[in-house]
Amino acid sequence: MALFGSAAPQQNAVQASQARQQIQDQIAQELAVANASELVNKLTDNCFASCIANPGPSFSAQEDTCVNQCLEKYMRSWNVISRTYVARIQKASSSGELN
Amino acid sequence: MAELNQQVLNSLDDSSRQELMKFVEAENSKSKVQMSIHQFTNLCFKTCVTNKGPIFSGDLSVQEENCLANCVNRFLDTNIRVVQQLQNQQ
Repeated sequence: MALFGSAAPQQNAVQASQARQQIQDQIAQELAVANASELVNKLTDNCFASCIANPGPSFSAQEDTCVNQCLEKYMRSWNVISRTYVARIQKASSSGELN
Repeated sequence: MAELNQQVLNSLDDSSRQELMKFVEAENSKSKVQMSIHQFTNLCFKTCVTNKGPIFSGDLSVQEENCLANCVNRFLDTNIRVVQQLQNQQ
């Protein structure tokens, strides 16, 4: 690799920052997967409980509609809860409640 | 997904290590908040939506939306109260 003695310090810094970026991307991706699978699990739990009272031999049209509506409602609920919770955290941290 | 090998870890220098720590800390708190939101949504969706009857629409009614916001806030109040009571008993 290094034609003139050992690798230049600059090159090491570039390598280090590339390595850091690679690790960060991987962490971010794994967390995104964990977040998405948590959502899928909770959605399935709630919408199954609410829409499939008596599991039949096939996925009926009513069940299908119910699951779709439940899914939309759940996502909207997630957003409402997220907004409310984040607002509360911000209010608490600005008033010093968290310290 | 790319594998995190020893070589990548070895090529980190001090400053990238520090930045990495900051990044992990920030992602960690973001993740904690997200997981709390999952927990609250799971609880409050049952309280405000499914326990009230069958689902007929994908939209949230005004009542449901208010109930959800109140649900999180009261849950957090309960959490604070529990901690206070336990601290008082010590």
